[in-house]
Amino acid sequence: MSDVRTFLTRNRTRLIVLALIALLFLSSTQDMEGGEWLITVLRGLSVGAVTFLVAAGLSLILGLMDVLNLAHGEMYMIGAYVGWTVYVRPDTFVDMLTPVLIVAAGLVLWPFWRALWARLAPASSRRRLLAWAALLAGALLLFLTLRAFPLAKWDPEVYAQSPITFSLLLSQGTLQPPAAAEFGALGPALAFGGALLGSVLLAAGMAGLSGRADAARDRRRWPFVAAVLLLVAALAIFMVNTPLTEWLFSLSTSWRFFLALAVATGAGVILGALIEVTMIRPLYARPIYQLMITLGVSFIGIEVVRAVWGRPEFTMPKPALFNGSGDGCPAESLSAMLEGQCSTVLLFGGRIRTYNEIFIILVGLTVLVAVWLLLQRTRIGMIIRAGVQDSEMVEALGINVRRVFTLVFALGVGLAALGGTLAAPSFGLSTAMGTSVLLLALIALAIGGLTSFPGAAAGAVLVGLLQQFMIKYGQIGINLPFLAEPFKPSPPLVPASTVLLMVVILLVLPRGLFGRSE
Amino acid sequence: MSPLLEVRDIHTFIGQFHILEGVSVAVPPGTITVLLGRNGAGKTTTLKSILGLTPPRSGQICFAGQEIHGLRPYDIAALGIGFVPEHRAIFRDLSVGENLRIAERRRGDFARREELIFSLFPDLKRLIHLPGTHLSGGQQQMLAVARALVPENRLLLIDEPSEGLAPVIIEQMIAAIRELSAETTVLLVEQNFLVASQLAERYVIVEEGRSVQSGLMADLVQDKATIQRYLGAA
Repeated sequence: MSDVRTFLTRNRTRLIVLALIALLFLSSTQDMEGGEWLITVLRGLSVGAVTFLVAAGLSLILGLMDVLNLAHGEMYMIGAYVGWTVYVRPDTFVDMLTPVLIVAAGLVLWPFWRALWARLAPASSRRRLLAWAALLAGALLLFLTLRAFPLAKWDPEVYAQSPITFSLLLSQGTLQPPAAAEFGALGPALAFGGALLGSVLLAAGMAGLSGRADAARDRRRWPFVAAVLLLVAALAIFMVNTPLTEWLFSLSTSWRFFLALAVATGAGVILGALIEVTMIRPLYARPIYQLMITLGVSFIGIEVVRAVWGRPEFTMPKPALFNGSGDGCPAESLSAMLEGQCSTVLLFGGRIRTYNEIFIILVGLTVLVAVWLLLQRTRIGMIIRAGVQDSEMVEALGINVRRVFTLVFALGVGLAALGGTLAAPSFGLSTAMGTSVLLLALIALAIGGLTSFPGAAAGAVLVGLLQQFMIKYGQIGINLPFLAEPFKPSPPLVPASTVLLMVVILLVLPRGLFGRSE
Repeated sequence: MSPLLEVRDIHTFIGQFHILEGVSVAVPPGTITVLLGRNGAGKTTTLKSILGLTPPRSGQICFAGQEIHGLRPYDIAALGIGFVPEHRAIFRDLSVGENLRIAERRRGDFARREELIFSLFPDLKRLIHLPGTHLSGGQQQMLAVARALVPENRLLLIDEPSEGLAPVIIEQMIAAIRELSAETTVLLVEQNFLVASQLAERYVIVEEGRSVQSGLMADLVQDKATIQRYLGAA
């Protein structure tokens, strides 16, 4: 009994706030019909699920490493564009794999170079000079040779070859595999060799410029094994390029969509790991620099996406599994929906979109449960939870916390990239999509208590619900006391309302809904 | 016998502050050595410097014949050094059992040492599923020591084990540390001279970032003048 009483007194304000939110939520049923209300709630949950995918990584990274990753929104955006490419232009995706794997093969030799530098040349100005020379030569070589690799024709400026056109073709079901690209002037052997040499030099240069080496760790053999495996994979994919591309085009859009989700997540994980190791890790002693470098990465991300995919916003057609409109659609029940692969289903008098209001929420829930299990049931999760509180003590126990940092950063970026691809079919793609979702995620984080994982989830759901209800009320109006006319929130009030919610919650609970006192 | 841990003339900076200006400590195997000194003398920083948490700028630290100065903290700890920090640093979000299991260096460490740990601190067995937040100060201190016992450490660095504890609990702590010193070497920081004199065989006095005197505890207890000079009250 006394336990319950202490819990109640300790969490009095929190419980009152939660009760008020619940009350407001329930009162919203007064103004609209059941079906409309259900749709609004589901839309809110859908926005919440996408926001959560971004907020989850953001909060784990902030909690564990004290890094506010301002580039997290751009990771979401890049995820969307990568997913779009796999989905709409698998030929480009397959073409990209070979050079990427070759460059990766060169870069994994990094530990070998560190050991070599340590043995041959101690840190000195001469070593720096040599390292810079290797770095520049490697970059130049990569620049020259990567252009020779055949890449399916892309030209955002030319209508017939722009992403918009291919999106349209796919949604009309008339997408044909474009003509395969030819190898450039260099020829395959020279291009392969040049790219490999370039990336090896790049790794050598970076290793020479990085800090001290750990001779015992760097003498291991795995980098060579990994490099050879990557090279073999690169060559194998090069050999089967055409059949692989044709096979991918022959897949149903549903399968290709799930492949796109997986590839985007994987690309996010790799990108996150690279960013953490090369940019965040050297700067743990200088948190402000970390903040600035993530801001820089976000700008670079936007410009890279603009350069590759072009400026215009475009759409990602929904996969067939969620886009049917044939017999029996809109479906009357969930089973009928699955059978007819209907794009909409009628439930409780509301017309619910399968992809937006069911699939996205399901993916969000799955990720929520998966990350929760990872945190609560695995040793890595235990280390993450401990590290959020006191990473120095975790290190003092003999645990290499830096490795866990990299893992969490990679995982967080992977989730954001997954969110990007997931959101693309319903919200479309644009270079600004990252900034807006980052803002929502930051508000969700502040509401939930910054470093609390359940807080991030709750905050994301609250923000999503509030946003969608405000949009809905903008259409139907809300009956307020003392007002003759129903009040209709204008569109600018929609983003403002989430900020307002954050302000109110932080005034009452300065540490957010689930925040911990330090 | 050559010492298990030998710290020679380390200098440590925190930011621009020169905290340790030449500390030397030798810890013979199988003994309890205590670092004595006033508040802010540099005792805690000495422990953290040994573990590499505040890496010294110069000097040598030898553990079991190996130079460990310059290694990362996790590599130093993995050589067999356990750390019980000031204010215990219990992980609040982890249960008591998780707080113990996180310290495993090899799978099954905790299972191997469970019996020893629960014989030293029987209370912990009862609390095993409770989150770290719910522990009292004394229980937290027991958990912090127990955590350092999970892997087979050869050296324990224990910072202020009696700080803020009730006298009964201090008695229990003293008994536990004495018992575990049968199999591990201990380097202790202790403000409470009474506790230090009951536990330690050897002492090192740290004054303004320098180690100024060391020897056998039995001799120091007799030496009222030194105690008065470096430690204030006797």
